[in-house]
Amino acid sequence: MTSIKVQKLQKTFQSKRKAEGLSGSVRSLFKPEYSSVEAVNNLSFQMEAGELLGFIGPNGAGKSTTIKMLTGILHPSGGETSVLGFTPWKDREKLAFQIGTVFGQRPQLWYHLPAIDTFTLFGKIYELDDRETKKRIAFLSEAFEMQDLLEIPVRKLSLGQRMRCEVAASLLHRPKLILLDEPSIGLDVVAKQHIRDSIRRMNQEEGVGVLLTSHDAGDLEALCKRVIIVNHGQIVYEDKVSNLKRKYLTTKMVEVRYAEEIAKDFSIKGVEILKVGHYGVKLKFDAAITSVDSVLAHISAAGDIVDITISDPPLEEVIAKIYEQAKEEDNKGK
Amino acid sequence: MNNLKFLLAIWKANLQSAMEYRISFLTQMIGMMANNFLYFAIWIIFFDRFKDVRGWGVNDMYVTFGILASAFGLVSLLFGNAFMLSDIISKGRLDYYLSMPKPVLLHAVSSRMIASGMGDFAYGFVSYALSGYLTWDGLARYVLAMLLAATVFAAFLILTQSLAFWFGTMSNFSNLVLNAMLTFGIYPITLFDNYAKIILFTIIPAALMGAIPAEFIRGFTWQSLSQLLIGASGFLGLAIFVFRAGLRRYESGSAIQIEV
Repeated sequence: MTSIKVQKLQKTFQSKRKAEGLSGSVRSLFKPEYSSVEAVNNLSFQMEAGELLGFIGPNGAGKSTTIKMLTGILHPSGGETSVLGFTPWKDREKLAFQIGTVFGQRPQLWYHLPAIDTFTLFGKIYELDDRETKKRIAFLSEAFEMQDLLEIPVRKLSLGQRMRCEVAASLLHRPKLILLDEPSIGLDVVAKQHIRDSIRRMNQEEGVGVLLTSHDAGDLEALCKRVIIVNHGQIVYEDKVSNLKRKYLTTKMVEVRYAEEIAKDFSIKGVEILKVGHYGVKLKFDAAITSVDSVLAHISAAGDIVDITISDPPLEEVIAKIYEQAKEEDNKGK
Repeated sequence: MNNLKFLLAIWKANLQSAMEYRISFLTQMIGMMANNFLYFAIWIIFFDRFKDVRGWGVNDMYVTFGILASAFGLVSLLFGNAFMLSDIISKGRLDYYLSMPKPVLLHAVSSRMIASGMGDFAYGFVSYALSGYLTWDGLARYVLAMLLAATVFAAFLILTQSLAFWFGTMSNFSNLVLNAMLTFGIYPITLFDNYAKIILFTIIPAALMGAIPAEFIRGFTWQSLSQLLIGASGFLGLAIFVFRAGLRRYESGSAIQIEV
């Protein structure tokens, strides 16, 4: 079942332009000039119910604008969208009962009150009865490990604790879909892990679909099955995360530790040696050019292996590569 | 019914939020009452010297000032964000309200309580009690007139602040017309000629917040009641229409926000 269907979605903003300095300001006062910015340009994609979909791209790529159109916050300039069978900008209130939203940069919890008070208020906003609200708060506080946080004023929580409460608040009314816009922004590694685990759990236990925008490739790797990469308001890549890795993660990094000292002139044809120590070596090769078998054979011939680690480069590098390709194609097009 | 439950819940949350800072809450309330008293002292001195301005005495001023203060206080308490709507629009902070399943305007304006409004609200009743017009049915008319005057006032705020959808931030302009509304609201209506009165019923509807409610409190007339009812429903309808028209132009924003 499809939960989101987007066809040729467009959003154009009018942006005021002003020349530098005071004279520019005076000119702009009497004769303002505007230019059009296409934040989202002919975007089409689908998302299935219960899917974990990553929507990533650099700043200004159109991620947040797309999310805002999907929730009914913004009216599009063109195209069609259906979210859980609703047209977001026409059926905003009905849709809001079915979805949850978290904007990492815009808190929804009341700053001066303990989170539990916002949860209770949300119970009224989403028209839950008091017993159901209490039951749901108890469940979410266990799922998000926030039993000790609920009665502390939000202003006194750490960013990580607050984000956990924010995501939990968006799930209070049992939405079928949550749209998370940069939920891990500014969080440390542990807090990010906490949030990711809780989101994964809610997806598995309640089947809630997750559309996630993020700068952090780690969010994508840890949570999403499928990814859409956008740039300049257009899709530049759309596939499963596993395919993305297979296609672009051909470079392998290998770290080996030996039982005895190895030769200082350690080398393998077609392999870049990054570092050679007395008992270990760190190297990098492209598996599409040099076979993994032959590299491993050379490594084991060099001595008795104590430990070996083979890893892929971080996803950030892959995404950067895709952006670069999209940029080059753009330039060629021009 | 659900929207009423929602409003009660949000007002409760506002009160809880304001009471987190107990001392600030109390000082704002008491400070505003003292401020009103000092302001009104000038009118007491004025009427002590001149007694009467075209049939308008100090007792009329007590009622007019009372209704103005109570209506202002009520809007501050229940719809505090109506004073900040322009900022909310121009800084893209309507996103929060648009992502919730409730009417955007109602949710946005009711999401803040200005604690000092409690002082204004209470002071208005004291001022009415001191006017010499206090009776039981007068008090009932006071409450009704205050609700209608508060509706006109809130609608006027929404109307002027919603211009931010078209012209960017309008908080300075809105403050300007707000001050004009309050200033003309307290002046004796008998000072103005017919042309000025038209302005005071339409462009700056100060008469619907001061003189007309005061007239209705002093004595029931169908004319003053219908003026108040037509004014309140007309301005409210217009404010909702303008806000909705503006909402289609809303452009959100990317400013980082640290509190609701």
